[in-house]
Amino acid sequence: MAEIRLEGVSKKYSPKDSTYAVEHLTYTIPDGDFVSLLGPSGCGKSTTLNMIAGLESVTDGSIIVDGSAVEDLEPHKRDLAFVFQDYALYPHLSVADNIAFGLKMRRMPKAEIRRRVKDAAERLELEGLLRRKPKALSGGQRQRVALARAIARRPGVLLFDEPLSNLDALLRDRTRAELKMLHADIGSTSVYVTHDQEEAMSLSDRIAVMSKGRLEQYGTPSDIYLRPATEFVAGFVGKPRMNILDGDVVERGRVRLRGTRVVVDAGTNLGDRTHVRLGLRPAECSLSTVSEADADGTVVVAEPLGNATDILVRIGGDNFIVRAAGFSDLRPGDPVRIDAAGVAVHLFDAETGDRISE
Amino acid sequence: MSSVTATRASEVGAPEHVADRSSRRNPRRRAAATVVHRAVVVLLMLYLTVPFAWMLVYSLYPGQNMRGQHMDFTPGDLTLGSYARLLSDSTFTVPIRNSLIVAAATTVLCMALGSLCAYVFARFRFRGQRVLLLSMMAVQAIPAIVLAVPLFVLLRAFGLYDSLVGMVLTYTAFILPLVIWMMVSFFESIPVNLEKAARVDGCTRLGIVRRVVLPLSGPGFAATAIFAFITAWSDFFLAKVLTSNSSPMLSVRTASFQGIFAMDYTAAATAGVITALPVLILALVAQKWIVQGITEGAVKG
Ligand SMILES: Nc1ncnc2c1ncn2[C@@H]1O[C@H](COP(=O)(O)OP(=O)(O)OP(=O)(O)O)[C@@H](O)[C@H]1O
Ligand SMILES: [Mg+2]
Repeated sequence: MAEIRLEGVSKKYSPKDSTYAVEHLTYTIPDGDFVSLLGPSGCGKSTTLNMIAGLESVTDGSIIVDGSAVEDLEPHKRDLAFVFQDYALYPHLSVADNIAFGLKMRRMPKAEIRRRVKDAAERLELEGLLRRKPKALSGGQRQRVALARAIARRPGVLLFDEPLSNLDALLRDRTRAELKMLHADIGSTSVYVTHDQEEAMSLSDRIAVMSKGRLEQYGTPSDIYLRPATEFVAGFVGKPRMNILDGDVVERGRVRLRGTRVVVDAGTNLGDRTHVRLGLRPAECSLSTVSEADADGTVVVAEPLGNATDILVRIGGDNFIVRAAGFSDLRPGDPVRIDAAGVAVHLFDAETGDRISE
Repeated sequence: MSSVTATRASEVGAPEHVADRSSRRNPRRRAAATVVHRAVVVLLMLYLTVPFAWMLVYSLYPGQNMRGQHMDFTPGDLTLGSYARLLSDSTFTVPIRNSLIVAAATTVLCMALGSLCAYVFARFRFRGQRVLLLSMMAVQAIPAIVLAVPLFVLLRAFGLYDSLVGMVLTYTAFILPLVIWMMVSFFESIPVNLEKAARVDGCTRLGIVRRVVLPLSGPGFAATAIFAFITAWSDFFLAKVLTSNSSPMLSVRTASFQGIFAMDYTAAATAGVITALPVLILALVAQKWIVQGITEGAVKG
C-alpha cells in the first residue's frame, strides 16, 4: 500500500505561461485513505491527478510515494491504476482482455491473470459480459469494467478522474455507494477528482479543496464543513450554498449582518477589525413573519423540495437563503425577520478571505 | 470505387425516403421515380465498366475474331491462349515481378515510416509542426513531370537509375507525404485517454502505437496501405523516365504493346487486364475499408 506526499508541487504547461496551472501543493495522503480533490472547473484537479499518475511532468516540487520520489518515474513504474471520466476502455478488446491488458503487460503468469480477471469480474458483477466488446455495453457497465480493470491490478494507489460524471443521477448514487464499499474492501490509497461537493463529502476520508491552482483547505469532511478555512471553501461546500455577506463589528465580539437587525456572537477575537465577512448556513437560520417596519428583508421566492423549502430573502442588495423544514406558507413579498440565534458563525477576513480564528 | 459506392448508398437511402413521402399522394409517380433512378444507376455503371469489360472480352478471343468488319463472338472461340502466351514470356513476367517488388516494398516503407511520423504529428506539439506538415503537402502538389528530369539526374548520380531500389525510393518520396497526411487524421480521432490508460497499464510509446493506435486505426491503415500500393503499381510516367532495360516495370511494358510498327491488340488487352487485376482485387477486397477510411478522413480533415 502507499502513502503519497506532495511537497511544493507546481505545474506550468508551458514555460511561457505567466501563471501556474497548479501552484505549490503540499499535503500528505495517508496510506489506505480515500482523498478527494474538490474544486470548480479549471482549478487544476486533473492536472494534480495526472502528475501523481506520471501522465504529466512536475514543474517544481516533489511527489513522494512511500518515502521515495516518483516524479521522474514512468506511470507504469508507480504501482497505480487510473479510472478515466470517459472510461478509456480499449474498443478493440473484449471486456476480459480489457481487464487483463495491464496484467499481460506486466508479464503475469496466465493462470494468475485468469484468476484475477475472474475475481475482478465477480466483484463488479461482470461475469456475463466478459466476451463482449465495450461498444456493446451500457454506460454503467462500461464504468464497472473500468473499475474492474483498475482493481484487477491490485495497485497501491487508485486514481479516479470524475468517474461518475457520465452516469445518470440514479446510477451515480448507486455506484457511489458501491465505490465506497469497494474501497473498504480493497484498501488501496485512493485519490478521487470531482467537482461535486456532495460526492466528495460522502466518499472521502479527507478532502483537498482547490481553487485557481491552489490548495484552499485539506481536511476531513467534518473539518471542511464545520470549520471552512477560507471564504471560498465555505461557499463551495454545503448545499444550499452558505450565505456569506458583509458584517459590521458592533461591539466587542459581536457582529451585525449589514442592513439587518441580526447580531451574532463572534466567538473569537476579531482584533481591531471594523468589518468582516459573515457566513451563516441556510439550514441553521430560520424566518419569522413580521410587520414591514421590523423586517430584515422580503421573500423573493420559495422553492419547496419536499423535505424542506428553500426561501430566498432579499436584504438590501443581497440575497439570503434560508432552508426551512417541510413546506412553508411564506409568499413572495412577505416581510420577514431572520433568526440566527445560536447558529454556527463563520467569520472571514474581508481582505484575505481567511477564516478568523484564534 | 468511391463513386460506385456513393451511388449505391444513395440508392438504398435517400430515394426511398423521398419516394415514401410522395407515395401517399401519388403511387404512380413513386414508381416512375424509382424507374428513372434505377436507369440512371445502370447507365452510370455501364459508363464506368464498359471500357474494362471490352478490354476483357478482347483479351479472351483470338486476334482474328476481333479484326475485320464483322467481329466474331462465338462462345466456342473463347480462349486463355493470350494469357498463357504472355505469362510464359519472360519479357512480360520479369516486369510483373519488378512491379510487385517495387509496389510492395514502397508500401511497407511508406507505412512503417508514415505511421510513426503521423503519430508524432498527431500527438506531440513541437516547433515548426504546421510548417512541416504544410510544406510536405506543398511539395506533394508539384506535378511529377516537373521533377522527372532532376530525379533522373539525381538517380543517375547515385547509380540508382534503372534499378528497383531507385524506383522504391522515388515512389516512397512521392507517396509518403500523402500517407502521413491520411494517417494523421486517423490517429487524431483516437481518444487521448486511451493512450494514457495504455501508459498506466505499462505500454511504452512504441507499445502504444503497436497495441492500441494501430489496431484502432485498422481500416484507415489498410486503406492507406492499399492506396500506397495501387499508386506505386499503376504509375507509368516515372517508371518510363527512370527505368530502362535492366529494371523494366509492368506499366511501361504493357504500354509498349502499342508498338510503332505493329499493334497486337489482343496482347495489349491481355496485358491491360493483368495490370489492372491486382488493383481490382485489392479494391474489391478492401472496398469496405477504403470507404470507411475515406469518410473517416473526410469527417476529420
Ligand atoms: N494540456 C494542457 N495544456 C495547457 N494547459 C492546460 C492543459 N491541461 C489543462 N490546462 C490548464 O490548466 C488548468 C487546470 O486544468 P485542469 O484540467 O487540471 O482543471 P480541472 O480542475 O481538472 O477542471 P475540470 O473540472 O474542468 O476537469 C486550466 O486552466 C487548463 O486550461
Ligand atoms: Mg478535470
